[in-house]
Amino acid sequence: MAQVNQGVRETVYPQAAQTFYRTLSQIAISAVTPIAAVLVALAFGAALLWLNGFNGSDIVTVMIFGSFQDMRSVGEILLKATPLILIGAGLCVAFRCSIWNIGAEGQLYAGAIAATLVGTSFTGLSVWVHVPLVMLAGALAGAAWAGIAGYLKVRFQASEIVTTIMLNYIALILTSYLVTGPMRDASAAYPQSARLIREAWTPRIVSDMRLHIGILVAIVLAVALYIFLQRSSRGFALRVVGLNPHAARYAGMQVARNVMLAMCISGAMAGLAGAFEVAGVTHRLYQNISPGYGFEGIAVALLAGNNPLAAIVSGGLFATLRSGSEVLQITSQVPQVLVLVIQGIVILSVVAFAKLRDILRIVA
Amino acid sequence: MDDMMFLTFLATLAGAAWRLATPLIFASIGEVFSERAGVLNIGLEGTMLVGAFCGFAAAFATGSVPLGLLAGIAGGMLFGLLFAFFTITIKADQIVVGAALNLLGMGLTAFLFRTYYVSTGKGIEIAQPVHIPFLSDIPFLGEAFFRQNLIVYSTVLVAILASLVLFRTSFGLTLRAVGEHPKAVDVAGRNVAAYRYGAVMVGTGLAGLGGAFLTLGHSNQFVEGITSGRGFIVLAVVVFARWSPIGAFFVSLLFGLFYALQLMLQAQASIIVPYQVLQALPYIMTIITLVVLRGKGAAPSKLGQPYEMR
Amino acid sequence: MKFSRRLFLEGVAALSIALAIPAIAQADDFKMGLLVPGSVSEEGWNRIGFNALKGVESQLGAKISYVELQQNPASFEKAFRDYASQGYKVILGHGFEFQDAALEVALDYPDTYFLISSSSIHEGNVIGLNTDTSQPFYLMGVIAAKMGKKAGLVGGMEIPPIQQAFAGFKNGAKSVNPDFPISEAYIGNFTDTTAAKEAALSMISQGADFVVPNASGATVGGYQAIAESGKDVRSFSIFSDFTPVAPNNILGLYVADYAQGVVEVVKSIKDGSPPTENVIFGLKDPKVMSFTFRDDGPVSVPAEIRAEVKAISDKIAAGEIKTGGE
Repeated sequence: MAQVNQGVRETVYPQAAQTFYRTLSQIAISAVTPIAAVLVALAFGAALLWLNGFNGSDIVTVMIFGSFQDMRSVGEILLKATPLILIGAGLCVAFRCSIWNIGAEGQLYAGAIAATLVGTSFTGLSVWVHVPLVMLAGALAGAAWAGIAGYLKVRFQASEIVTTIMLNYIALILTSYLVTGPMRDASAAYPQSARLIREAWTPRIVSDMRLHIGILVAIVLAVALYIFLQRSSRGFALRVVGLNPHAARYAGMQVARNVMLAMCISGAMAGLAGAFEVAGVTHRLYQNISPGYGFEGIAVALLAGNNPLAAIVSGGLFATLRSGSEVLQITSQVPQVLVLVIQGIVILSVVAFAKLRDILRIVA
Repeated sequence: MDDMMFLTFLATLAGAAWRLATPLIFASIGEVFSERAGVLNIGLEGTMLVGAFCGFAAAFATGSVPLGLLAGIAGGMLFGLLFAFFTITIKADQIVVGAALNLLGMGLTAFLFRTYYVSTGKGIEIAQPVHIPFLSDIPFLGEAFFRQNLIVYSTVLVAILASLVLFRTSFGLTLRAVGEHPKAVDVAGRNVAAYRYGAVMVGTGLAGLGGAFLTLGHSNQFVEGITSGRGFIVLAVVVFARWSPIGAFFVSLLFGLFYALQLMLQAQASIIVPYQVLQALPYIMTIITLVVLRGKGAAPSKLGQPYEMR
Repeated sequence: MKFSRRLFLEGVAALSIALAIPAIAQADDFKMGLLVPGSVSEEGWNRIGFNALKGVESQLGAKISYVELQQNPASFEKAFRDYASQGYKVILGHGFEFQDAALEVALDYPDTYFLISSSSIHEGNVIGLNTDTSQPFYLMGVIAAKMGKKAGLVGGMEIPPIQQAFAGFKNGAKSVNPDFPISEAYIGNFTDTTAAKEAALSMISQGADFVVPNASGATVGGYQAIAESGKDVRSFSIFSDFTPVAPNNILGLYVADYAQGVVEVVKSIKDGSPPTENVIFGLKDPKVMSFTFRDDGPVSVPAEIRAEVKAISDKIAAGEIKTGGE
């Protein structure tokens, strides 16, 4: 097969094939760091288990392979991966622009609230109208919530790190108020909103699995963001602003507009993730609708090296780890919080390996 | 509410505010040092949890509160060493490493607590309130300010000391210069990295102390996630306080005040405002402050940037 | 390339067989799973569910397993399916919030029994188990109104088990004195012991002399506040024994041996005669719900009040007094 390819390269499409191979090898090289980082983290996790009297090898046999028992468990992993990919890919754009949006969690809640409002009103719409409407509402609300922080940064130089963290709390408290107060389903004992109208539910891919079309939307959007960042002039401007805002300003780029754009894109993606959680998974708004997807999304983006395309893989990986930690607890009674330790080590290892690669490059 | 009731209410409020502010005061003063030297540590939530856990574990084993506090500080500093290594020596992005340390701190403390202390359910002896002679007998004021434990009193001392060190010593001067003009410090023959390590150690040591206060000076147990987001609030306090230790002291008090007020007003049946409004108030206020006190102002100009030595 | 892919597939197949074998070997065991909405490491609600599971293990010889789900509704259904597909006969969802997910999954697994704590459902193989906490709290309310001037209730979040308990307390107190003042505060989470302590302290400073905290992991903070406020403040220990924390203040203990109740129900399932309606544990089940007074404390409940409480308790057990609801 290799020979055939070589023939193609030499005769038919020399240019394109060369680019293709170069890209492929680039991907292979850039994949080394994250893979090594994950291995280090798993080794650390195994050591932690072993030191504390658990079976260390469980981390591979149960946590990684145990998550893939059947189609349904794979579906569940993809279901978890959906918000992580959406948020992670969105944050890649913000981080590329050097915007430290720590507020994806709050933006997710903003999206979930808006999706619930739209999904519980407007009876009689067709699925083809209501489903996109819910998604749109979620994305817009997320973008608006992030936009507050963006505006404060652009207009008042308020640190987005602080404002997005504050907005996280405010969104969580707002949700708590809404589901115990005005949006509460009076008939239910548990504080929750009314159930979304069936036409607003995100359609499932297979009828007896919970996996919904959100995963496809997430992948498509991640690819789109990759193309936007790498191929469009606006994406280029965002990256330049991230690398050097002063240079960008000299080059006539509008820093403020790019900052707002990066903030709103990442917010819209998080808001969409919130909309899918409500419309595709729980069908109601609860106080604790996200188990910290917004924070995990930060790790997803970092592991992906702020590349939206790679966020698809790292989002899938983090979903697998999370799923696996649940299986691990069921089978071996290992505290599920182990997954946080592993995630933390993954990030640190990525950082360390990236540095190591730089050093090796300098030496070579 | 009659006047006497109101005064009691205020006295209780002030006392509670100070206690609720205590962990914030320690951690935010620490973070002032760190940020003044140009290092932004968003991993404080994890650091405080490590302090709370180490403090609890040491006091559990030895039965001594002072040893527990030392362990809390040591635990925080050990965690800080990790942060410093990655951000200063390896020059990795401070936000990235901070985010990782939050995950690590939450995960490790919960994992270890669950593995070793779950079944005991036992608590520890905590620091007891010390009534200051005469002063504690002053009506209302005495209750509010002079019947706290030593850890709470020490916040005043720490704030003053921190302010003196930062603004009146050559160490403090150099430390601030490291955050503003690291190149100048480097040219003058001082080691920028060493100062940054020092600042991070002070910062995480105090954050560890703040965490340890929760388990040794207030509750007598460790609970997973006991910091309940205080590590993030600290970041807001520091900005709000314009990177000043004394400012951090008072802004922390303000946050404590809001927190206490929120709890106390809920208990008043006559208040009709949803309690969530009160819960959200400190966060909204922080944002407003950022807008009002706009501009870079006192923010260290090299905050968040690794320094490449020549 | 083809070869390596086949190798990979074979490897995966071999691995899944290896993983499946133990599952097949254990198929005959009677297995019970538990879903809890938080950490079992905390004294409180989640520990109660865990103890129930342990009870079934020790008394019925079942193989057990549990999973903590951090109150995230999205993961409930998956956890139910995981257990059901692994041949678990009984799965206890420890909390009302698990009900919707159980109903969904139950259709696919008709041979598995889904027990739901603090729920009053009975639909096919989904059976609600409710410990009516409003009953013992009603008794505490009666005692508070008879012995104290003002009561304070510190809650975690506004969720049904806590609202139900507090409603019982208020109804009990009002049955003695319709104007008895009661203040109520929620700390907004279940982890912040510091907030629970300060909330209790502030209530005490505003005149409350009978305070009951109910905030899962953060509960202990409330008892500390009570202990530090001197012996004029009274309390009752709930769910677990908190007397070591506040030895001078706790008048008695309400301990729910939910485990015993669950063991009875699971035993009936194991024996092939599952409950025909939803199960409510209350003061009528002394094995499950024990309400006792302390005699070793500095202050104890006078004999005549104890007699009255006993009489009320009997009436509640007989269904003559309704304790819950606003």
